[in-house]
Amino acid sequence: MPLSWALLASLLLAVAGYLIGRSRAFAVAGSDIRSLHSRPIYHGASVALMTLTPAIIVMIAASLLRMAKALSPEAVGLVGLLALAAGIAGLGWGITRIGAGYQARNVVERIVMGVLIFCSSIAILTTAGIVLSLIFETGHFFQKYNWLDFFLGTEWTPRFQGNSALGILPLLWGTLYISLIALLVAVPIGMFAAIYMSEYASKRVRGIAKPAIEVLAGIPTIVYGLFALITVGPMLRDYFAQPLGLGNSGSSVLTAGLVMGIMLIPFVSSLSDDIINAVPQSMRDGALGLGSTPSETIRQVVLPAALPGVVGAVLLAASRAIGETMIVVLGAGAAAKLGLNPFEAMTTITVKIVSQLTGDNDFAAPETLVAFALGLTLFVITLGLNIVALYIVRKYREQYE
Amino acid sequence: MTDLPMPQSGAAPVPKSSLMVADTRTRRRNAAEKRFRLYGAGAIGVALIALVVLLTSIIGGGAGAFRQTYLSIPVALDAETLDPKGNRNPDEMSKVLTLSYGKVLDRAVDAAVGSSEIEITDLSEKDISSLVSKEASAQLRNRVLADPELVGQTVDVNVLVNGRIDGYFKGRVTMESAAADANTSPQQLMLADALKEQGMLVTRFNWNFITNPDASDQRPEAAGVGVAILGSFYMMLVVLLLAVPIGVAASIYLEEFAPKNRWTDVIEVNISNLAAVPSIVFGILGLAAFINFAGLPQSAPVVGGLVLTLMTLPTIIISTRAALKAVPPSIRDAALGVGASRMQSVFHHVLPLAMPGILTGTIIGLAQALGETAPLLLIGMVAFVREFPAAPPEGLFDPASALPVQVYNWTQRADPAFVERASGAIIVLLIFLFCMNLLAIFLRRRFERRW
Amino acid sequence: MYDINRAESAVTQQDIKISARNVQVYYGDTHAIKDVNVEILDKTVTAFIGPSGCGKSTFLRCINRMNDTIDIARIEGQIRLDGEDIYDRRVDPVQLRAKVGMVFQKPNPFPKSIYDNVAYGPRIHGLARNKTELDEIVEKSLRGSALWNEVKDRLDEPGTGLSGGQQQRLCIARAVATAPEVLLMDEPCSALDPIATGQVEELIDQLRSEYSVVIVTHSMQQAARVSQKTAFFHLGNLVEYGETDDIFTKPQDSRTEAYISGRIG
Repeated sequence: MPLSWALLASLLLAVAGYLIGRSRAFAVAGSDIRSLHSRPIYHGASVALMTLTPAIIVMIAASLLRMAKALSPEAVGLVGLLALAAGIAGLGWGITRIGAGYQARNVVERIVMGVLIFCSSIAILTTAGIVLSLIFETGHFFQKYNWLDFFLGTEWTPRFQGNSALGILPLLWGTLYISLIALLVAVPIGMFAAIYMSEYASKRVRGIAKPAIEVLAGIPTIVYGLFALITVGPMLRDYFAQPLGLGNSGSSVLTAGLVMGIMLIPFVSSLSDDIINAVPQSMRDGALGLGSTPSETIRQVVLPAALPGVVGAVLLAASRAIGETMIVVLGAGAAAKLGLNPFEAMTTITVKIVSQLTGDNDFAAPETLVAFALGLTLFVITLGLNIVALYIVRKYREQYE
Repeated sequence: MTDLPMPQSGAAPVPKSSLMVADTRTRRRNAAEKRFRLYGAGAIGVALIALVVLLTSIIGGGAGAFRQTYLSIPVALDAETLDPKGNRNPDEMSKVLTLSYGKVLDRAVDAAVGSSEIEITDLSEKDISSLVSKEASAQLRNRVLADPELVGQTVDVNVLVNGRIDGYFKGRVTMESAAADANTSPQQLMLADALKEQGMLVTRFNWNFITNPDASDQRPEAAGVGVAILGSFYMMLVVLLLAVPIGVAASIYLEEFAPKNRWTDVIEVNISNLAAVPSIVFGILGLAAFINFAGLPQSAPVVGGLVLTLMTLPTIIISTRAALKAVPPSIRDAALGVGASRMQSVFHHVLPLAMPGILTGTIIGLAQALGETAPLLLIGMVAFVREFPAAPPEGLFDPASALPVQVYNWTQRADPAFVERASGAIIVLLIFLFCMNLLAIFLRRRFERRW
Repeated sequence: MYDINRAESAVTQQDIKISARNVQVYYGDTHAIKDVNVEILDKTVTAFIGPSGCGKSTFLRCINRMNDTIDIARIEGQIRLDGEDIYDRRVDPVQLRAKVGMVFQKPNPFPKSIYDNVAYGPRIHGLARNKTELDEIVEKSLRGSALWNEVKDRLDEPGTGLSGGQQQRLCIARAVATAPEVLLMDEPCSALDPIATGQVEELIDQLRSEYSVVIVTHSMQQAARVSQKTAFFHLGNLVEYGETDDIFTKPQDSRTEAYISGRIG
């Protein structure tokens, strides 16, 4: 790999530049080191950075050009040489700058600041990357498939031969149904757990329950997925669905919803904990001082005061549930259905993204491209929920700061 | 919730009522209080029970993966079949296919069963020949190719037995289920029982589960998480090398230098939103940007690492910023006061003081990345990979699997023995996560500072 | 304006409302209140003064068992309200707090409407049979705390929207609405400006006609202005207790003298 060699060579060059710069600075200073504006190590560092920066810029530019297919792979060797040349030029220029009045520290700090700013804009680049790749491929999809049929279609039957029906509604329905069940499980349990821990629990109970709930939060979703597949699904089928004559499937809306609810308990509980604790103690004292019982204090004073925060937390949890993948992949099933029976297998947006994009992809077929449209829909829904939720939570925090 | 029902009874309170006697209203309110408390305790109880059931079901189901049944028999390595040229040249011997070794093994098993005087009615030829795993002949072949001098001798070998027999000793397969199973039979299980009695079948700890690569659909008994562990490790390496420096640099800028303006506001909102974007969307990004656009190979740890880096960055930035914020401003003032530049005050004083917090946050971010599955499915990590990737940096571009993806992969296989493997892989994953969290807790305890 | 009725306040003898015997309070290992004995009279304003950290607020919070909410606090000794030990096992703190109301240092109206704030106590304790009665209680309490004229047209607006002094008077109205027998006030004016302080002090003096009022204050002037009895706390001890005038003019204990002359505290 010539580029990695070029990188290594420029690193060595930079180290050499550092040493040269430092000793030059000592030489310039003579006996009185204080005649220099900056300490010698900054002179060394400035030379090193001036060597490395142009070399790396050349390499990054070349890589980007190559990705954009504007540069043939054979030219890579040339690029390595070019990068090295840029590094040497930088080195030479850097050495000539050294002098007593040269503000090496300021130069170094300016370059470091540039690096810091670049790093913090990576988050923006990521978002831009997500949005661009989703929109770009979704555009391709809508050239091949009518967008009205996608958003309003009630049938999801992708076929290899083409002529597929790719309506999002059954997937959306499955997603919302499962998320609803998950929230019905997680919100009351999570909130009550948070209330109990912050207002009632003895030190000992808290010492056990809090870490246990944190453990629940640290378990990867694939583990929950397997739990749904091998334990919860068969249990629901054998003890509820079959005896009640409601279905024969281990994968079901209820399986996925229940397990996802368990997964969300720690999320809801830690958010609620923050929110409940943000209500000032003086408010609690006020209610207790009037002779409220602790539960009246919570229900009639703390919770109403915390309501916006709680709403925000529920929205965040909903966005989590909607975007959750592994639990539904393993627990919900693959049948796209518009039904009400929670013991039936249904499917979600995320499941279909996985199933359309794993295996051999043909990026010209609408059956593959539809995954990007699904992804975009998912992104927009969760983003909307997040923005609203974060806004509410932020406003709520400010209220008590 | 806010409005109480109007009280049904009771006028203004009788003055000087005794405190020692609870009036009816207070009793009713206290009962409500008790109920409310009970709900709370119930919620905690449900959460704890869920945790216990989850862990026992996974650990109970996966513990079996760490034990495996082996058949130990003498095998006569027939020189005619295994080295037709007779010159013990490994290059020429490698032309002999695994199939021939299978025949050698079959004869050995036949002989062993014959000599042990086991009498089982209706024991078919197939029952005997399918006793050992399909992987066993490959095992034997590798051993012979590594040491050609063995040819012609009779050696004692330990070979894997068929997954059904293994499952029988672990309680997964029973006589009833075997009767309905085309891949085994009650007779075969009886044979296995008899062999066990004679000490030829042993079930022992299974290191191969941790070191072996994945195996095909037909041979769950040979499947291991070796490639997956290495792949996960490579990805963590990429995340560590990219996410930590970038995340810390970004946090330093946002927390210490960024002017309060629209642009930094946009970055902040962006980061908190990115932290809540579903992980699968990052997978789509990885597929579109790194594989389709940048042309990086599918299934490569480097792509997985990049995707996970982008995913963990917000987590790392958020925790690093919290750690930086916890360093009191007086430290910065002190450094500036003796003539340090702002950059020097940050790098010499604030950053070292915030280090424990940053490390803790980083480890938690890494743990999250280690358990993440969905985005990796989309960048081809589900592919069946039997070859270990090479050493980094080249190995980062070789196909590999990852622990959580391996779990998913095994859940999609038909043979129920793979469920045990999947649970076993989760145990390995959970042990890693446990160690990482322990490290984080240790760091937090060790370096916790109260200002 | 505030040395109202100084002559009158030389006390017409009143009944004993609260009596404390050998009260000790521990916060974990700290002995916060050491052996306090005191008798607080009905229909009298009693002031607790002393330097910060002397235990005056801690002792005040013992009287309606607000210290119960703090895990590490432990209380020994007896506090009797109308002869009944409030730390008896049979006593429900909820019922006790209905009789012994409390106003806090920082105004802490609930994030509800002004009306709901005042109606909160009567509602939970079931003091009104119907809406009309509740309206009456709210109006009476708001009038009693000299807030009615300022808020009668905007009872539906949130209590948090009032000014600091109004908020504190709302909190007093909220406490009064519960029809308590004793009113505890923990530095009720420390967060208020002088004008609002004046209004609240005037109100406290009016409350004396119906309640036994105990007020903790760090301001000696305030104690002198509003109270008839004063207790001086120092390092967890009740150093001196007596007529307010006596405490300020001829203190018996050298520590009291040092405090009121500004040498400690």
